Amino acid sequence: MSEHASKQYDLDLDSIRSRVLQMGGLVESQIRRALEAFGTGERALIEQVIADDHRVNAMEVALDGDCSQVIVKRQPAAGDLRMIFAITKTVTDLERIGDEARKIARMARSIHERGAQSVPLAVDVRHAAELAIAMLQRSLDAFARLDADAAAEVISADAGIDSEFRSILRQLITYMMEDPRTISMALEIVWIAKAVERIGDHAKNMAEYVIYIVKGTDVRHTEPAAA
Amino acid sequence: MNDNIRRRKRHEAVFGVVGLVALMIGVLTFAVLFADMALKGAGRLDLDFFTSFPSRRAGQAGILSAWVGSTLVMLTTAFFAVPLGVAAGVYLEEYARRNWVTDLIEINITNLAGVPSIVYGLLALGLFVYQFGFGQSILSAGLTLALLILPVVIVATREAIRSIPQEIREGSYALGATKWQTVRYHILPYSSAGILTGIIIGMARAIGETAPIITIGALTFIAFLPPSPVQAAPPFLSFEWLFSPFTVMPIQMFNWTSRPEAAFQVNAAAAGFVLVVMTLAMNGAAIWLRYRLRRNIKW
Amino acid sequence: MSAPDTLMNTELMQEQRTALVHKAEVKSLDFYYGDFRALKSISMAVYEHQVTALIGPSGCGKSTFLRCFNRMHDLYPGNRYEGRIVLHPDNTDLLARDVDPIEVRMRIGMVFQKPNPFPKSIFENVAYGLRVRGETSRRRIEEKVEKALEDAALYDEVKDRLQEPAYNLSGGQQQRLCIARALATDPELLLFDEPTSALDPIATSSIEELIHDLKKQVTILIVTHNMQQAARVSDYTAYMYLGELIEFGVTDELFIKPRMKQTEDYITGRFG
Repeated sequence: MSEHASKQYDLDLDSIRSRVLQMGGLVESQIRRALEAFGTGERALIEQVIADDHRVNAMEVALDGDCSQVIVKRQPAAGDLRMIFAITKTVTDLERIGDEARKIARMARSIHERGAQSVPLAVDVRHAAELAIAMLQRSLDAFARLDADAAAEVISADAGIDSEFRSILRQLITYMMEDPRTISMALEIVWIAKAVERIGDHAKNMAEYVIYIVKGTDVRHTEPAAA
Repeated sequence: MNDNIRRRKRHEAVFGVVGLVALMIGVLTFAVLFADMALKGAGRLDLDFFTSFPSRRAGQAGILSAWVGSTLVMLTTAFFAVPLGVAAGVYLEEYARRNWVTDLIEINITNLAGVPSIVYGLLALGLFVYQFGFGQSILSAGLTLALLILPVVIVATREAIRSIPQEIREGSYALGATKWQTVRYHILPYSSAGILTGIIIGMARAIGETAPIITIGALTFIAFLPPSPVQAAPPFLSFEWLFSPFTVMPIQMFNWTSRPEAAFQVNAAAAGFVLVVMTLAMNGAAIWLRYRLRRNIKW
Repeated sequence: MSAPDTLMNTELMQEQRTALVHKAEVKSLDFYYGDFRALKSISMAVYEHQVTALIGPSGCGKSTFLRCFNRMHDLYPGNRYEGRIVLHPDNTDLLARDVDPIEVRMRIGMVFQKPNPFPKSIFENVAYGLRVRGETSRRRIEEKVEKALEDAALYDEVKDRLQEPAYNLSGGQQQRLCIARALATDPELLLFDEPTSALDPIATSSIEELIHDLKKQVTILIVTHNMQQAARVSDYTAYMYLGELIEFGVTDELFIKPRMKQTEDYITGRFG
């Protein structure tokens, strides 16, 4: 995109965009560490993730404030308007992903407080989580490069996570029916899997916003083929 | 920095003083002349002075025929100069296209204002008095002076019209008005202050013109008035006065100053005082009218 | 060389098109100031009872274009029109030589950038257009003046002082007076040439409200250098640059997703 007549405007927009990517990076590391804590039960890591969620929230507040400033000062139109609009929505989704990561950490804490020997379906959950993290990375990447095709791929990948979640759920239900003593832990694993599924949904939303920025079409709530 | 400011302020004060001195020289000179004339002549002013004809006896001489003659000549002058001058000014500003012809006309009009008045007198003598046969009459004098002040009226009209902002004209045209409607409802009303000022200034000049009037043959000693414009029998209006012999104030003054008796100098001073007062009154009227007419206009 | 694509083709406009009626059609309009070609082959539609905005940087020709509609250029020498502006429903070509500009101006009114009330009373200002047309009935003039002042949302403020000079009004009121003056003669098309650029924000808002209400009775064409105003006030927007029409479209779409990069650059301030 060519430059605005006002250099300050360009600087403001660049600053906002790079901080969105930073927030994405922070949120991604939150998910990874929460997953690791799920695997190892390391107490310090769990507390770290829960504490760092404040940083995610602070970034959301700061970015929303900066976007408001741009709206008031510059009255953006066309591409700039779509960009600011999409950024405020992306920031919301990133903050929610941060919340999901914190939930995962909490679930991990209560699972390991129980002192469980083995965690059922841990592998499957990790696998789904890796998919979700990949979706998040690709969404952020599509945002950075304003690449609508890459965004479209992310949108179609969400179906994969949904089906993995359903499969984990089925298996856990079977598990719970076989041995009712495992119900408490199994439920916690369900919540974790659900959190992962939601992370995928949020990443999909972010990809939809990228398409809105680039093409000006709002593809939310439509079939992937329409993108 | 304070030195710098002080120095600059001193220069400013110097110019203020210079300007004031220049102004006072002009004003004081006029004031002195006027006071001198007033002192000499004001004592002579009484009702008899205004209602008596000139006489060989200074004590009985008056300015009746002179001021009546001046008034009638001014009326005639205005009658011709105003419509011609205003119409010419309006035409040149609103109707004529801007090309070399109109530029030439514009240059010539301003030049005419500088032509010595005696030249107008000679022109009038040949054209009005002899060629058209109007004779040595008020009509000839009025026409001559009208020609004299025509450039003043035209220029004043043009300046007044030019000061009307273009937005007003566009506003009028945008409502579907024709050019004449715009002139009649806007251009003339809004420029009337400036036009009137120009007319009165022109008249104030004309009232004091001596050379052209003498040239066309105004008499210096008249003991009768021109026939009255109003008469008892129908059609109740007479134009005979236009063709009557006459005299005017400046000529009467000139006549008296060329007489040796001191008493006549007093008469001349008195007449001069009256003439100046008439001129000042006309200028005062111009200023007052201008104020009244410009009140509604804010641009 | 005209812009490649200035016809409407979005879904929204397709739907609306069946309900839209043309008030005027501009067909390949060229305009010359002497030898200088100020407008280049402009073709555009003006829809009835809609507000169409003309935007673009200084010198793009939007005011020049506007003034073609009421033949204001005829007042000054050396101007030349080519092409046609067809007024509906009677298919009159406004620019034809045999069409009297006075007739055009009796059907098409104009409001100027700087409020230009006449130095007369409020009443006489509004009545002028009627008098010029030869209306002499006092009753009819009074009725029309009152209605025009009401339509311009000014009547309540001035009804007790109609004989006072128009110059006593504030800037915003003077502009509304000028609007009333133009409305008194029941124009079919009303041209606004940057009507609020000399006014403060509150007066600007009231004029914009007024324009929104007026479009029910008259078609409006407005030139503005304030893009947000164009976005607020108009149904259709035309972007012009250097005498050409670059893009014409539904306002809501043009400001969110313009089709031409030049339009996008202008409205996002990417103009050098």
